[in-house]
Amino acid sequence: MNKVNISHKDLMSVESPGRYVGGEPNQCIKEYVINQLEQNGTCKEVRTAFCFPDIYEIGMSNLAMQILYNVINSEEYNYCERAFTPWHDMIKLMREKNIPLFTLETGSPLSDFDIVAFTLGYEMCYTNVLLMMDLGNIPLKSTDRKENDPVVICGGPVAYNIEPMCDFFDAVLMGEGEEMILEVTQAVKRYKDSGKRNRHELLLELSKISGVYIPSFYKAEFEDNYSGKEYFVDAVRIVKNEDGTVSEYPVEFSKIAPRQTGLIKTEASAPDIITKRIISDLDNALYPENPIVPNMGIVHDRAYLEVFRGCIRGCRFCQAGFIYRPVREKSAETLCRQGIAIEHNTGYDELGILSLSSSDYTGLKELTDGLLDAFEGRHSSLSLPSLRIDNFALDLMEKVSSTRKTGLTFAPEAGTQRLRDVINKGITEEDIMSSLKLAFSGGWGTVKLYFMLGLPTETMEDVEGIADLAKKIEKLYFDTVHELGIKARKPEITVSTSMYIPKPFTPFQWERQNCKEEFLKKQAFLKSRLKSKNIKYSWHDVESSLWEVVLARGDRRLNQVLLEGYKAGLVFDAWDDSFNFAKWTEILLKNGLSWETYAREYSTDEVLPWQHINVGVRKDFLISEKNKAYSETVTPNCREKCSACGANCFKVGECYASR
Amino acid sequence: MLQDERARLMTTQKHQQQYIQRAVFERKGATSYIGHLDLMRVFERAIRRAELPILYTQGYNPRPIMVFALPLGVGVNTEGDYVDVAMSVPINSEEFVEKVNYMLPAGVKILKAISLPEQKDSLMSLVTAADYRINAKSIGDVAPDILKFDSIMTTKKSKGKEISVDIRNLIYDVRRINEDEITLKVAAGSSNNLRPDVFLRAVCEKMCYSVENSSNSDICRTALYKGEYPKIELIM
Ligand code: SF4
Ligand code: SF4
Repeated sequence: MNKVNISHKDLMSVESPGRYVGGEPNQCIKEYVINQLEQNGTCKEVRTAFCFPDIYEIGMSNLAMQILYNVINSEEYNYCERAFTPWHDMIKLMREKNIPLFTLETGSPLSDFDIVAFTLGYEMCYTNVLLMMDLGNIPLKSTDRKENDPVVICGGPVAYNIEPMCDFFDAVLMGEGEEMILEVTQAVKRYKDSGKRNRHELLLELSKISGVYIPSFYKAEFEDNYSGKEYFVDAVRIVKNEDGTVSEYPVEFSKIAPRQTGLIKTEASAPDIITKRIISDLDNALYPENPIVPNMGIVHDRAYLEVFRGCIRGCRFCQAGFIYRPVREKSAETLCRQGIAIEHNTGYDELGILSLSSSDYTGLKELTDGLLDAFEGRHSSLSLPSLRIDNFALDLMEKVSSTRKTGLTFAPEAGTQRLRDVINKGITEEDIMSSLKLAFSGGWGTVKLYFMLGLPTETMEDVEGIADLAKKIEKLYFDTVHELGIKARKPEITVSTSMYIPKPFTPFQWERQNCKEEFLKKQAFLKSRLKSKNIKYSWHDVESSLWEVVLARGDRRLNQVLLEGYKAGLVFDAWDDSFNFAKWTEILLKNGLSWETYAREYSTDEVLPWQHINVGVRKDFLISEKNKAYSETVTPNCREKCSACGANCFKVGECYASR
Repeated sequence: MLQDERARLMTTQKHQQQYIQRAVFERKGATSYIGHLDLMRVFERAIRRAELPILYTQGYNPRPIMVFALPLGVGVNTEGDYVDVAMSVPINSEEFVEKVNYMLPAGVKILKAISLPEQKDSLMSLVTAADYRINAKSIGDVAPDILKFDSIMTTKKSKGKEISVDIRNLIYDVRRINEDEITLKVAAGSSNNLRPDVFLRAVCEKMCYSVENSSNSDICRTALYKGEYPKIELIM
């Protein structure tokens, strides 16, 4: 067996060496596989290196990784190990000393595995994927891999538009990994047993698995003749200045590259449309009741309990809300049992209740009562992010915050009711005010408000609405405490804005993104309006959102861009101090592409690079949602009324619940 | 209930009876590469997994009552460090050792534990000296001679500033075991403490020992003592 040994001295020369040594409770060590490897250098089992394209502390906080690690290892014929992106200091050391990237469990180089699997949770990790393959001595491009190289696969929410990275993966899993990963490992097992050495044949086998996309079986085509002008509906961007004057930013049409015209199959048996796979019965799906407990501190150092998948709400900007449809709940009974088991098995004193919108879980009261009862006297608590604030939630937070008191969070996303109707955010100012009044009466004083800048149809009045709302909340705090005669403390109101990024598979997938100048103007404007000492304004970096739209809506031409960026040393894009937008822009331009190409408005009848992927929600539904947005009409949530979005094709979950 | 009332209630709760398990433990391998806070969490979670009745502090943010004798640096092994764990009911020490060891990650192991009544002085304040074993290329022939100096000035960081300190009187003994191995007895604890890496730096500066070799060293703490030097004895 090839075993990478990093010397004590080398470990002592890097930051947080605990990232590279493994040895955590509940990590999976399969002696019967290791023995074969030690004796013969090979084994009968299928070896998977599960790779997370960021550092250990972030990867180990990721639930998807723990779930799939558990599912794969539950089969005796499989052995799944973990690898993470090494930090800059370790990368340097590995390059200097020719140390290949290795897994934590057995210290094997990535190139020794049958399968190398990446989970892609966000676009900004793409070059880290290339880095990991490169450090692992795996040829970067699928077409350059030889018979002995691992099969490189990926999955995860951003994999639904894998086109910008498709050259680097042999196979992409569309949908929920635990539903399909074992079909992939079984196919690889059959291939391994057969002793065949024919990659193409293996890929053909994999393509027969429903939900598996083999990018090399397709070819993208682009226009020869084009004039960017006709694609851009907003010829000039108009930005209102603080003093009421107006600035205009003309769009540089010349920068817009040709559009994609189609995706042609090069392998006759490949499917035309790849439909995502989902778990129909979450109650009976394997869930890690014995997750790995890191020895060193990680970003989210707690155990997790996923209560349901999907979201009933359908906010029009929200990719998660559409790609995870339909909503499928787990029973409170199963969850209670699993939550108690996890708390016992890990020793964690905090269990995070995870979902897109926990208040929408129908068994929330039963679940939290059950868990809090079981945790009584054990000094364990629950954390409940994404709760909508009402009497029940406040009561619950009182109970769980007996150990930890955090602030209240709201995500109105937009500053005015008009814009909230546009984005279908079913939350009104009265909702916010009445919840906050309750909260302030109960002694709370810390509120965080999340908004987005650059949403479709946004005007300066909407931006001003954000400041107004924050000020109204500040006033409400003092009014409430005076009214009740409670001693006023200094309320802490935080307004946080992020930049809107139009994402595939949403009704806004065709929208343009605001340009840098617009975003900066809006930020500056808000800064000038939020001067109270009780209100803090925090904002995100604009440039990373500009790059994210390129990756999110990108096409196959970006493979070359990402490769060149990686070779130029651009990794850890998700980290502010590593991200270099100027360099990325330069590489885009060199390849005849631009931010404008991907940030422009798309027409609803043009070919979208991701249109061969079916997440269930139909295009005509997305178009009707887009139109309803422009007429400021809201759509009821799945529980109020089914809008027949298409996700009922999976024949499970909320779509079939009796309303 | 209002938050303020709740806070008042929690901080005015009465004193809790403590039953201490004092344990001596070793650590080596993968778990040596984590920091002191991480090691505390490793113990905390192992004890929780072992379902032992660990006692918590009262107040807003209850923490397990657990005191370590002396922090262990990242990368430093130990063969004899101590931790006091407070239990809410008396428990048998053998049971404590067996159950916690079963839950600790590979590399950390409790060697022995004893039951103690509630402690007046914290374990931390007992520590006065420590032994280390240092393995490094050719260190055996170089390091012991550092004792012939009357003064060994070295810099240390204090409140962000570099200050110059004399560490000579913190070094009690340095012995050659073989060419590549020494043992070291130094002052340790909350008032006076000499870290082995600081000692090694001094050996490099004073004795022209190779920095390369010193950074390639294996360091293991082998004992912790109480009492005033030279009348020191093992903590347990
Ligand atoms: S509530 Fe809206 S924003 Fe939140 S997950 Fe659901 S659809 Fe997305
Ligand atoms: S089909 Fe109806 S219930 Fe199902 S996800 Fe779509 S809108 Fe919701």
